Amino acid sequence: MIGRRWWVPWLWLAPTLVLLGVFLVYPSIDTIRRSFLDTGSDSWVGLDNYQFIVENPQPLVADTHSALMNNVLWMTMFTLFTVAIGLGIAVLAGRVRYEAVAKATIFIPMAISFVALSVIWRFMYEFNSDIGTVNAVTTGAGGLLRDIGMDSNLSEPTAWLQNDGSPQTVFTDAGPDDLPGPFQINNMALITVGIWNWTGFTMIILSAGLKSISTEVLEAARVDGANEWQIFRRITVPILSPTIVVVSTTLIIQTLKTFDLVWVMTGGRFDTDVVATLFFRQAFVIGDFGVGAALAVVLMLFVVPIMVLTIRRFQFQEEIR
Amino acid sequence: MSTDFRPRSLPLFTLLALFVVALSFAACGDDDDGATATPGDGTPTDGPTATQPADIGAVSVLGQWGGAELETFESVVAPWQTETGGDMKFTGTRDIISLLTLNVEGGSPPDIAIPSEIGLLRKFARAGDLVPLSACGLEEEVRANFPQAFIDLGTVDGELYGFFFKADGKATIWYNPGFFADQSYEPLTADATFDDLLALSQEIEDDGVVAPWSIGVESGGASGWPGTDWLQAILMNNVDGGLVANDGLVDGSVPWTDPAVKEAWEKLGEIALEDGWASQGSGDGIVATNFLDAIFPLFEDPPEAALHHQAGFAAGAIVEQFPNAVAGTDFDFFPWPGGAVIGSADIVYAFNDDEATCSMMKYLATAAAQQIWVEAGGAISPNTGVELSAYPDAVIANAAERLTEAETFRFDLDDSIGGATQQAIWAGVLEYVTKPGDLDSILSGIEDAAVAQRAAAEEE
Repeated sequence: MIGRRWWVPWLWLAPTLVLLGVFLVYPSIDTIRRSFLDTGSDSWVGLDNYQFIVENPQPLVADTHSALMNNVLWMTMFTLFTVAIGLGIAVLAGRVRYEAVAKATIFIPMAISFVALSVIWRFMYEFNSDIGTVNAVTTGAGGLLRDIGMDSNLSEPTAWLQNDGSPQTVFTDAGPDDLPGPFQINNMALITVGIWNWTGFTMIILSAGLKSISTEVLEAARVDGANEWQIFRRITVPILSPTIVVVSTTLIIQTLKTFDLVWVMTGGRFDTDVVATLFFRQAFVIGDFGVGAALAVVLMLFVVPIMVLTIRRFQFQEEIR
Repeated sequence: MSTDFRPRSLPLFTLLALFVVALSFAACGDDDDGATATPGDGTPTDGPTATQPADIGAVSVLGQWGGAELETFESVVAPWQTETGGDMKFTGTRDIISLLTLNVEGGSPPDIAIPSEIGLLRKFARAGDLVPLSACGLEEEVRANFPQAFIDLGTVDGELYGFFFKADGKATIWYNPGFFADQSYEPLTADATFDDLLALSQEIEDDGVVAPWSIGVESGGASGWPGTDWLQAILMNNVDGGLVANDGLVDGSVPWTDPAVKEAWEKLGEIALEDGWASQGSGDGIVATNFLDAIFPLFEDPPEAALHHQAGFAAGAIVEQFPNAVAGTDFDFFPWPGGAVIGSADIVYAFNDDEATCSMMKYLATAAAQQIWVEAGGAISPNTGVELSAYPDAVIANAAERLTEAETFRFDLDDSIGGATQQAIWAGVLEYVTKPGDLDSILSGIEDAAVAQRAAAEEE
């Protein structure tokens, strides 16, 4: 029988292996090789490209520190808020009669491509408040506040995608003009778009998880006198935690891949670059393949620990099964 | 209850299906950078029995045009297609530097490229990727028909590689003649000074009807470039030793920290950062306003600003936004005080000397081909064989005359430099407009980028 021969599994695997080899393994190895070569990939320069990333000698051209910090900000803020809001909506929507409508509404942004989404939000954030919805709302609110005698920065439109000042300066001049690191108005504005786009995804996955919690457990808790908040904290979240971890991992990998949203909305200007946009500009706009490749390798290194954790957890779950 | 699960599973399933659709859309969204068009598929006049010219094959062209501009370019190429039986495969992208670099690096360059940046020309020519015009037997003709300034720009290490196709004049200040007449403001002339420009701005500000200027430098990833046009106009016209500094910045003999260069930046600040002078309100407003949107406040009814500095393409943008606007009465320009002319142009160069490629190169260089776009409007031809009478209106004819007969002419500064330095200049403009106090560190940052770029170029 053909199924017994040793090479048969390899035969079935071959198409996949060829595709992986051509489109994943070869480019990865070539990228690593180029990261040790000079601008035009002609001669070896050792660790110079990595030194460039660490020392950040040309912040006007390629602010590597800011890009790395921005990726960290995306990773934390985006993941945290997307999971928290998605979980909240999943729990609350499960309790209303128009659940399907509510969920569909939250989910719709997911059906829009990132580029289209970015173009739409560029209009939303437009500086001219005749066009920009966000500024129309904030300047309107600022006007109301002024009428009741409260002065705030809200009466002036905010350059949401350009202003790299501290987020609180949208409202007031009190506090520092520049918070340390990537806490900037424009980064927050970009991350908000990402959250708006991805909340539907977390909501759907978590709500599927919620449905699988047996009602007996919840009823037992109620009989024992637990209030709804305690049930949420002590029962729902612990039971959901494997799902939450899976969702968070997906989101973290998503943040590392962040590119189109930043590229279309700000082009990485005003310190909004993330590693992916920076490496693209460095390699394909400026033509410096050395630093570009090194940045891509750094991005790969970022993903490795997350990958390892995910695979470990997977194996662990297989074992306890 | 497990019975609850069934009716609910349906919407959930629908949503998951939607999710899959969304993912596929997201995947599609990534490749809408390039638009491919094959014009002239139908040749209505040629019946099947008509004598077909010898088919010389297809030529791939990488350019920047899409929409109406692409249609115009197709009409330019159409006579060549009919005459030679050749075909054009045009790829248009706004991101031509990335795409061209990628194609050349990947070993599959187009036959002909038409970018507006000339930094790449030097790089490709020195790497041996390009064929000189002499390989197509085109060199004498180009030398005879184009101004020397454009010949020099197409030359690398003594060899002529490219000619220019569609040019635009910069250092022009747009205004609304009707509004100027109402307010009795006088447009400036080429022999005015920077102080005259400041005085005019102050007069408009004092009258308080509109803001003197409308300024916007937002342009996505290229944000900041309109500011570099300002800087070059000021440097060449209003700074002592500015011409020398301009040339020095291009060849590296003058650093960006040079006092003349710094003076140009400060003079930019004297207008753009003067409180109340820009209708956008503040530095944040200037960097957040798109360069095209910044043209229009002058021509609204009532106008919101009086002056706008922009290249000749502003005329096309005005007509598109206000279809009833008439050149000369509703919009016009005056030269930047000082009169030195800055231009930009799309350069045409070839990556091989195949018969079809050469045939198309020869065609595009002719006055007849360039005149087609001139007559369609919105373009100036650097080919001296194109008559001024071919231009559709007096405003653009005036711009064309300025460009081809300029006494002092320089190519766009940042487009001449390109690479990382260009990125640094753009970023520098954005930073200066929002944080003017950092000027010294901005200039030394640009100089660092320029030094590194030259060092990398020498190694190659």
